[in-house]
Amino acid sequence: MKYLFVDSATANLVVAIIIDNEVKYFFNEETGKDMSAMIMPVINEAFSLTGIKPKDIDKIFAVNGPGSFTGIRVGLTFAKTMAWSLKIPVVPISSLELIASGTPSDNNIALIDARRGYVYAGGYDKDLNNIYPDKHILLADIKEKGSFISYDPLNAIKPEIDVLKVVKKHESEKGINPHKLNPKYLKMTEAEEKLKNND
Amino acid sequence: MSAYILAIESSCDETSVSIIKNGTEEISTVVLSQMDTHANFGGVVPEIASRMHIENITMVIEEALAKANMTMEEVTAIAVTYGPGLIGSLLVGLMAAKTLAFIHNKPLIPVHHIAGHIYANNLVKPLEFPLIALVVSGGHTELVYMKEDYSFEKLGGTLDDAVGEAYDKVARVIGVPYPGGPLVDKLAHQGKDTYKLPLPLDDDSFNFSFSGIKSAVINIVHNEKQKGNQIIPENMATSFQNRAVEILTKKTMNALKKYNVKNLIVAGGVAANSGLRQSLEAKSKENYINLIIQPIKYCTDNAAMIGAAGYYAYKLGRLADLTLNAKASDKLH
Repeated sequence: MKYLFVDSATANLVVAIIIDNEVKYFFNEETGKDMSAMIMPVINEAFSLTGIKPKDIDKIFAVNGPGSFTGIRVGLTFAKTMAWSLKIPVVPISSLELIASGTPSDNNIALIDARRGYVYAGGYDKDLNNIYPDKHILLADIKEKGSFISYDPLNAIKPEIDVLKVVKKHESEKGINPHKLNPKYLKMTEAEEKLKNND
Repeated sequence: MSAYILAIESSCDETSVSIIKNGTEEISTVVLSQMDTHANFGGVVPEIASRMHIENITMVIEEALAKANMTMEEVTAIAVTYGPGLIGSLLVGLMAAKTLAFIHNKPLIPVHHIAGHIYANNLVKPLEFPLIALVVSGGHTELVYMKEDYSFEKLGGTLDDAVGEAYDKVARVIGVPYPGGPLVDKLAHQGKDTYKLPLPLDDDSFNFSFSGIKSAVINIVHNEKQKGNQIIPENMATSFQNRAVEILTKKTMNALKKYNVKNLIVAGGVAANSGLRQSLEAKSKENYINLIIQPIKYCTDNAAMIGAAGYYAYKLGRLADLTLNAKASDKLH
């Protein structure tokens, strides 16, 4: 089976091609603001180096958040458009699960800085079972015990992601309708919060 | 051979996809407006606009292809608005376009939003050159000289607020709900020109400025309020519209005269303004100008115009590679 993995929810762009349980292409670099200019050339490279075509892909695994709102949409618009256009099943993946994936411990708490003291946090055991659901929370309010893992300077272990492990975990999932593949922001926009508070 | 351009526009609060044949024939267009959602917030909220674009983008593409009874394989090239506009919104359309171009191996055509507005008129009647284009919308107020297809020389533009933006702000001050522009236009026909407002930036340049007149409206409303009086919204709408229309007409006519051009096109959301249409129609008739104002249906943002402009860019080989990025602001060129 041929799989494509895409994550652009954090400052690190991750693109991988997995063929028959082997990672044949792996890109994992900090791109920051250049994400939208870099993603397609990286995906193009992934296909040309592995010698396969987009239509050969059997399943797409796409990170749908949480993380940078704009960042999530860059990779997810790609995944959504490709999945819809080529009728390829697409499976949404949590950015926090990916962050926790390479650290073999039963109590990983993956974090992404959400500014003003807030983080996106999710707990994962060594088999990537989601023990504490992903949420938007004040860092100071996290009660669960575990080792923090994050790219961000939050006094945490740096992530060593394991894309193959994540893909295997979700391999049997059927995938969702690409039209319904949408970001999981875990946070309303400020305008919506204001409107809600005024009610 | 005929060229079928699949065009995507997502620069503000409309998700739109069109298929245009040879730059002139509209095969299908789908526009999904988010206006009702943004009305709850009194204006376009960029993050909400981006969220709605990604939710709808593939459905809109699918519907445009279905309406045209076409497949991606039959599409010649993909055109997309790369800017100017809201960056988060632009990125959704841009990523969808780049993905389609990549997986189906089609040329990718970057289109400037203003070039699109100008070329909307090409769907009515092929443009005749040289021409002057007056582009007026919520984000733009520009006079552009074109000596031939896809050659754009900006003569001037707004130094601050776009005219449509000024309309929306004045609407808010005189108590007209969002989107205020069309309602101010309607009120203007019911009132009298009683308020003393300045003719904004009345000079020899082709630039515009609408922040001063907007402030003048705000000041009058405040002063009257302090005196315990209320302004008459209809009269304020008439006074404001008269001044805005007068300066737009005057500078447009000056440009036509200076460049000795007989063709005028008017594009953008404010091209739907009846006061502006009447004024330009009258002056054009008087000066033997061949005037084309885009039909109301093309005045709001749509992908049909991007597909029309994209065809000429495609013919000139003005293509982009996969590194194409969105630009919040960019000169028309």
